[in-house]
Amino acid sequence: MKQAVLSIDGLRQAVQSLPDDALTAAREAALASIGTQGLPTVRHEDWKYTDLSSAIDISNRWLADGANTESAAPLADTVKSIMASIDANWLVIANGIVDLTHFVESSGIKIERFSDSAAPLVMERPLADLNVALLRDGLRIQIHAETEKPLGVLIVDEASAAATVSQANVEIEVAAGCNAEIVEYQSSSGGGDHYGNSVVVLKIGQAANASYVRIQDRRIGHVHTGRISVTLGADSQLHMAGYDLGGGLVRNDVDIDLSEPGAAATVNGLYLAGDGQHIDNHTRVDHRVGPASSSQEYRGILNGRCRCVWNGKAIVHKGADGTDARQTNHNLLLSDKAEIDTKPQLEIYADDVKCSHGTTVGQLDEAALFYLRTRGLDRRQATQILTHAFAADLVSRTPVTATRDAITALVESRLAELITDNVS
Amino acid sequence: MLEVINLKSRVGDTEILRGLSLSVNAGEVHAIMGPNGSGKSTLAQVIAGNDDYVVTGGEVIYKGNNLLDLKPEERAREGIFLGFQYPVEIPGVNNAYLLKAAVNAKRKHQGLGDVDAFEFLKLAREKMAVLGMDPKFLNRGVNEGFSGGEKKRNEILQMAMLEPSLAILDETDSGLDIDALKAVAEGVNKLRHPDRAIVLVTHYQRMLDYVEPDFVHVLSEGKIVRSGDKTLALELEEKGYEWVREAANG
Repeated sequence: MKQAVLSIDGLRQAVQSLPDDALTAAREAALASIGTQGLPTVRHEDWKYTDLSSAIDISNRWLADGANTESAAPLADTVKSIMASIDANWLVIANGIVDLTHFVESSGIKIERFSDSAAPLVMERPLADLNVALLRDGLRIQIHAETEKPLGVLIVDEASAAATVSQANVEIEVAAGCNAEIVEYQSSSGGGDHYGNSVVVLKIGQAANASYVRIQDRRIGHVHTGRISVTLGADSQLHMAGYDLGGGLVRNDVDIDLSEPGAAATVNGLYLAGDGQHIDNHTRVDHRVGPASSSQEYRGILNGRCRCVWNGKAIVHKGADGTDARQTNHNLLLSDKAEIDTKPQLEIYADDVKCSHGTTVGQLDEAALFYLRTRGLDRRQATQILTHAFAADLVSRTPVTATRDAITALVESRLAELITDNVS
Repeated sequence: MLEVINLKSRVGDTEILRGLSLSVNAGEVHAIMGPNGSGKSTLAQVIAGNDDYVVTGGEVIYKGNNLLDLKPEERAREGIFLGFQYPVEIPGVNNAYLLKAAVNAKRKHQGLGDVDAFEFLKLAREKMAVLGMDPKFLNRGVNEGFSGGEKKRNEILQMAMLEPSLAILDETDSGLDIDALKAVAEGVNKLRHPDRAIVLVTHYQRMLDYVEPDFVHVLSEGKIVRSGDKTLALELEEKGYEWVREAANG
């Protein structure tokens, strides 16, 4: 199949129809950048397994139809029920529109709209550029003191028209020495085609400690691309965990920049995929100085006709001695129609480093299945129990405690959908 | 309760059971002894329904029905329990959760509702006290990091909670120190009941000092070559398995 090409004319029209505000110059710069670079195709090494044609097709249809932003009113109930499932202080971006009405003013957090302050970064990365070019507005957040509740960023979309596209962009700065807990929750509903594209920039100050949980529970079939770029200050820590439960074509890019000594980043993830899903997790950790450590552990459970990709890259730059970088990726394939492309990648240009990586792809342990069956559990129940245990090991280590019950429930219900009677 | 008639079974290309017959009635305790490789564990696995073991001939009738038609979980719900020689470690699956799921699977089969959570815990703690098990084992992963003795006690705990009609204990005595052996034996003796049959598969006689069998069978090369009462076990201990083999061939 020939890869679709984004309509730059349509995009220019949409960009020019947005209000003239603090973002205008950034939108123009981003538009120019896409005009030259275009969006990535499967010929790019980093996009070998993930074809953005469906995202481009939805975008072109949406642009041709006037690039409208739908009212967020139908999302009120969804927003309410998600907020009830996790006790956090919520910022909402619904259908790409920033909504601060649920947020409770807190002395530890300062929030500004980009339109009231300054435009977001233009990263010169195609999907981030697309995001800025089409961005109505986004948020700049400073966390300068520990807060009672985690900060929640709820990105939610309702696909009420035939094709809709939305952007979310958030910059978060955690002040030096501060402890911060952040939850990003992605959700979508509605019968139309939808493409959601988000960008999060997280700056962690010196000796600060940031916990970040990302939950992606979009409607099966909806397209999502998300980028999280993190920079860590000296002696700071990041504890991140991502959960991909829904979506159709999903691509997550997590970039971690370790440019100051003493920093430690843990980046974990779980993906549960069934029929029609394509979930691609790309991580990149740049070790620019040492000592510093990074640890990545991703796990996947795949059933039915689906494909997942994991590409974990760690680059240990020249002079980054004292680096400790670890990567693991474990996968359970419950169907012969499921496919995983897993690739740990280490590039080492320093001498004194500790690096390790390991990946596994396997089926359930038959001995354990038989043992459970001799205790009266049928094959489906036994499979559910074993896959749940495989996932629970990561869930139990989820960094933001307030999210654990919700994640446990989401994982359990997704597994119950995935593990059907026809497990092999 | 259980009629095994001329049972033949193989694993891969190796024939292991070569025409084994055995009759077990409710209320009885049978011991099946024999040298390594004689087919003791194969018999236990075939009765539990492990499809790595292919039945090539004979029949197994349980409570009047053809057992070999049933899936492993159906056999369990019909009251068959296998205590594993090597219980499987299942990290991340809570021991109490498995016990409760197993009890509920059986109750559902009997048309009963789920067990009351409070009553279940109370009962589990009582049974654990008999077995000398620390209640904290309820909250650990199934057999995860358990010592050999702890695993065997855990098997007996599962048996006690499931109250099977037919319990087959595969080398439950192996690898146990004397205290663990006594605790396990007490757990087994507590389950002796006129409605229940117990089959002890064992290599050594020492378990039988604590759980007195009604019948002892000696297995050799896939067949029962000799049956008797508990004195047969003592005779075996004294004369060794070579004696049985010679007697069978002569």
